[in-house]
Amino acid sequence: MVAHPRTPARPHRLRPLREPRPVAVEADAEGRPVAVTLRGQRLRVLQVQDTWRIDDEWWRERPVSRVYWQLTLEDGQVLTLYDDLLARMWFRQGYR
Amino acid sequence: MRAACVFIPHFPIAVELLDRPDLRGRPLVIGGAPEQRKAVLDCSPEAEAQGARPGMPLRQALGLCPKAAFLESDLARYQDAFEAVLHALEGISPLVEAADLGRAYVGVEGLEGLYWDEMALGEALVQAVRLADGQARSTGSLLPSAGLGEGKFAAWAAAVTSAPGEVCLVPAGREAAFLAPLDVFLLPCSLDTMRRLGLFGLHTIGDVASVPLGAIQAQFGPDGRRLWELAHGLDWEPLRPRRHEESVSERLAFSEPAVSTEALSVAGRQLLGRLFRQPALRHRAVRQMRLRAALSNGRSWERTVTFREATADRDQVLYVLRCTLEAALPSRPVEEMEVTLSGLTEETGKQEGLFAAKGHRRAQLEEALRQLKARFGQSPVYHIVEVEPWSRIPERRLALIDYDP
Repeated sequence: MVAHPRTPARPHRLRPLREPRPVAVEADAEGRPVAVTLRGQRLRVLQVQDTWRIDDEWWRERPVSRVYWQLTLEDGQVLTLYDDLLARMWFRQGYR
Repeated sequence: MRAACVFIPHFPIAVELLDRPDLRGRPLVIGGAPEQRKAVLDCSPEAEAQGARPGMPLRQALGLCPKAAFLESDLARYQDAFEAVLHALEGISPLVEAADLGRAYVGVEGLEGLYWDEMALGEALVQAVRLADGQARSTGSLLPSAGLGEGKFAAWAAAVTSAPGEVCLVPAGREAAFLAPLDVFLLPCSLDTMRRLGLFGLHTIGDVASVPLGAIQAQFGPDGRRLWELAHGLDWEPLRPRRHEESVSERLAFSEPAVSTEALSVAGRQLLGRLFRQPALRHRAVRQMRLRAALSNGRSWERTVTFREATADRDQVLYVLRCTLEAALPSRPVEEMEVTLSGLTEETGKQEGLFAAKGHRRAQLEEALRQLKARFGQSPVYHIVEVEPWSRIPERRLALIDYDP
């Protein structure tokens, strides 16, 4: 009889990379981001480099409907955010 | 070859009695608590008189000597004490062979001019051991017997048959006559050979010497020839003086006894830092590390690790130190820790292959991962897999999965 290895069996599971993280964003009346708060610091948006919309997985229980914004902030960093149109929340996410 | 033998019977017991003189005269068994599944390392003559023997299970020894005091063995302490003895003997002759704990051979040829006679030389050897490393104390000291003879066997037989503190000389050319009345048990042979010698009615060394060489060789082969030669006082086994290996040590005492691997690792890091700053280790690599710890119960703990390759990398040595501690953490709080690095060699370069052996590296990597998995129960390493590389949703494209070789 094989001895119990004393370690709990753990199923292999996939851990998604580049998961979105919530972020505090101030938007204007048209839904365009004007400022982002990162680590407690409010940073104004200097420039919108790009924007695009993704509507996908509409056949699933949780469909995806996002508007992505690629922004340059006042400190020079480039950030990719999206506005989750279904959850009405902003997220930041690496996008390549 | 004229040699001397310095012999301290029941060396571990003798060392224990230095620290615990109150146990003198009581049956003593060294090896551990009687309920432990260990063997007897040594026992006092009082315990031997009741049937206990080195090598037998402790439970059996308990059955034979129920009133014996059972002591944990402290090999590091015994080796330290024996090292002090050898060091003291090297003050008399540079040729000292450590045979086993409590038995050392000394090359005495060429020392005639330094001592009045061989008896004076033997007495100097005994006295050197008595004063070894400050062991002469109020509680007593190690008291060896010494024997001098032609060859190591004659010297040993002379030492074994002498009382503690005494010296026995075997005059040159009189070895066979000296050995003849001695018990055949002194001959270096297996228990089976000993039993067969008894079956042939050979009970003394003189009995063995009286048998024709051809007959004993026919019965016992090459071993028989060696026994016959020894019985005639012919011993050609050379003295093998111990080699002195350069080593460096550092020691650290804890203000509070340390119990965790982390605390011991921090101490190890500090000790290694000090060691690798020593001039002796500049541009040199080490082959072996010895860890020693003085425990709160007065015992010691010791582990020796030999590296696969000589290394001058402190971090690599520290990693091995941590692994050693994790694998066998001392059972009691540690009061003092010592790290000794030995096998010092010149720092050498490492020749890489011209064509990288990727398959070999992968096999090494997988073996390392298997070891990590065995240690942590699960693989702590992941690899990235493409799940839906075509997806427009970033979190759908790549994922981490356990790397399970």
